[in-house]
Amino acid sequence: MEPKSFAGTLDSLSLIREYVTSAANSAGLDRKATYGLCLAVDEIATNIIVHGYEGAGRSGVLDMRTEMESGTLTVIIEDDGVAFDPRENKLPDSEDFSKPLENRPIGGLGVFLAFDGVDEFKYERSGGRNRNIFVVHHQSHTNT
Amino acid sequence: MPFSISAQIVNDVAKFTLSGELDAGSAGNFRTEIEKIAAQKPKRLVLFVKDLTFMASAGLRVLIFAKQKLGAEVPIYIISPQEPIVDTLEKTGFLQSVYVAPEYTDEG
Repeated sequence: MEPKSFAGTLDSLSLIREYVTSAANSAGLDRKATYGLCLAVDEIATNIIVHGYEGAGRSGVLDMRTEMESGTLTVIIEDDGVAFDPRENKLPDSEDFSKPLENRPIGGLGVFLAFDGVDEFKYERSGGRNRNIFVVHHQSHTNT
Repeated sequence: MPFSISAQIVNDVAKFTLSGELDAGSAGNFRTEIEKIAAQKPKRLVLFVKDLTFMASAGLRVLIFAKQKLGAEVPIYIISPQEPIVDTLEKTGFLQSVYVAPEYTDEG
C-alpha cells in the first residue's frame, strides 16, 4: 500500500478504515482479523484526532503506511499531536467489565479494543511525532 | 457505508434502527436520539442492528449513556447484531448487561 495522509478530523475515520481494509485484503487476512485491525486503528486514530489534535487546539494529519513482509502486516500511523503513549493508559479490568452498565467507567475502552484487535501494538516517539504501530502475524489469520 | 439511525417510540418501547458504521464521528447522532427519546420515558430500548457493520468504543459509550439516561431498570435489547459486534460486546462485558436476540417481539 502506498503511504497516505489523512486530515486529523473525525470525518477521516471511514477513509482510514477503507485504507486499512484494503491493506488487510492485500495481505489475505480473514474477515475477523481484518475487523480487529480496523477497530484497533480506528480507536487509536480517534484518540489522536480527539485528544492529540482537537483537544489540544492543534490541527494536523495522520500519516499512514503499511508494510507486508515475512508473514506480518504492519500498519503505522504518525501524527504531530500531543505526545501520548496508549500503553500508559489505564485499561478496564475484569472488575470493571463485571459492573452493571450504568456504573461502568467509560475511559480506556477504546485502547482496550485497540490492543485486543492486533497481535502486537507498539508506540514510539520520534522527531516530535507519535508513531503508533499495529502488527498482525497474518499466517495465523489468513483465508487460505 | 455511512451511519444512519431512525427512532420511534411505540407503547413505551423505544425502537431504534441503526445501520452503517458507528464510530466517534457518528456516535453523536446516536446519543442525540437517545436524549430526545429519554424525555418520553420509555420502558424498554430496542436496537435493530442487522445492518450495522462496524461499532467502535464510541458506540459502547452511548450504550452506557443510554442506561444512565433512561434508568438502570430500562432493559436494552440488541437485535440481530453481526458477529464482530457481538464479539466486541462479549469481550467488553456488555453482553452481561444487554439482551441480544436474533429477532424481537413486543412480548420480549
